[in-house]
Amino acid sequence: MAQPVKVRITYCAECGYETQTLQLAKDLMYKFQDQLSSIELIPWRDGAFDVSVNGELVHSMYRDGGFPPSQTVIEAVEKQLAA
Amino acid sequence: MAVTREEFESAMTYDQWKAGWTRNHDRFAAQERSYQPDPADVEALKKLPKPVNVLAIVEDWCGDVVANVPIIERLARESGKLNVRYVQRDSTPFIDRYLNRGQFKSIPVFVFLDENFNELGVFYERPDSVTKLRADKRLEVFKNNPAFGDPNAPPDQLPEDVRNQLNQALQKMREETQPFYDKESSRWIRELAARAA
Repeated sequence: MAQPVKVRITYCAECGYETQTLQLAKDLMYKFQDQLSSIELIPWRDGAFDVSVNGELVHSMYRDGGFPPSQTVIEAVEKQLAA
Repeated sequence: MAVTREEFESAMTYDQWKAGWTRNHDRFAAQERSYQPDPADVEALKKLPKPVNVLAIVEDWCGDVVANVPIIERLARESGKLNVRYVQRDSTPFIDRYLNRGQFKSIPVFVFLDENFNELGVFYERPDSVTKLRADKRLEVFKNNPAFGDPNAPPDQLPEDVRNQLNQALQKMREETQPFYDKESSRWIRELAARAA
């Protein structure tokens, strides 16, 4: 059985990133349903938009620029589920 | 393309924009209470020969909008020389003309225009001096508390209690640097408006 996968989305709460945060969360919920152990939303500051899957940073706005395509995060989750 | 008279006159007044706010009423009110303009800035604006038009590109969720709008509104009210109108970034096309460093949809944007709608200058987001000060102070916060770890690491890697402590420390730093922020924004607004003289 695949290990439970935890996704964390850290978003700048004073930058208007709620829309992108909720869209990504929704895409993950629809795609994986009960295969995820949790999706944690962390309100932060300073322009952050980070996504980690089981503790591995798969996207950082500082590092990678912009918002991640949902598919990037979906593939990172699929990799963890297959591990 | 700058901003035409027709576009400017169709933009919202402060009260019209304020009536549509969906959040941050308390934060706007707190900044309105705490900001005290430097009399020198007000006097310099009063001496302008004619009022200056300012198109403000804003959204109510943005921290820098919350910081800067009460400043420009207070300076406008006390000097009688700034005619400020508001448009929302996410529902109007103006931001595409005023991308910060040609790339970023940073707000607020204050576009200063003379009586003939010639562009005098543009205020983007916050003064560079504030960005630098806060970046330096942020590093100090991490240096003074090793539990906060690497300043460049994502905060979700911290235990929740430590992350909350870091958040509080960063908020305290923000509050402590706010007077400098207010002073620098006021100065920048005054200098841009003075180009009309």
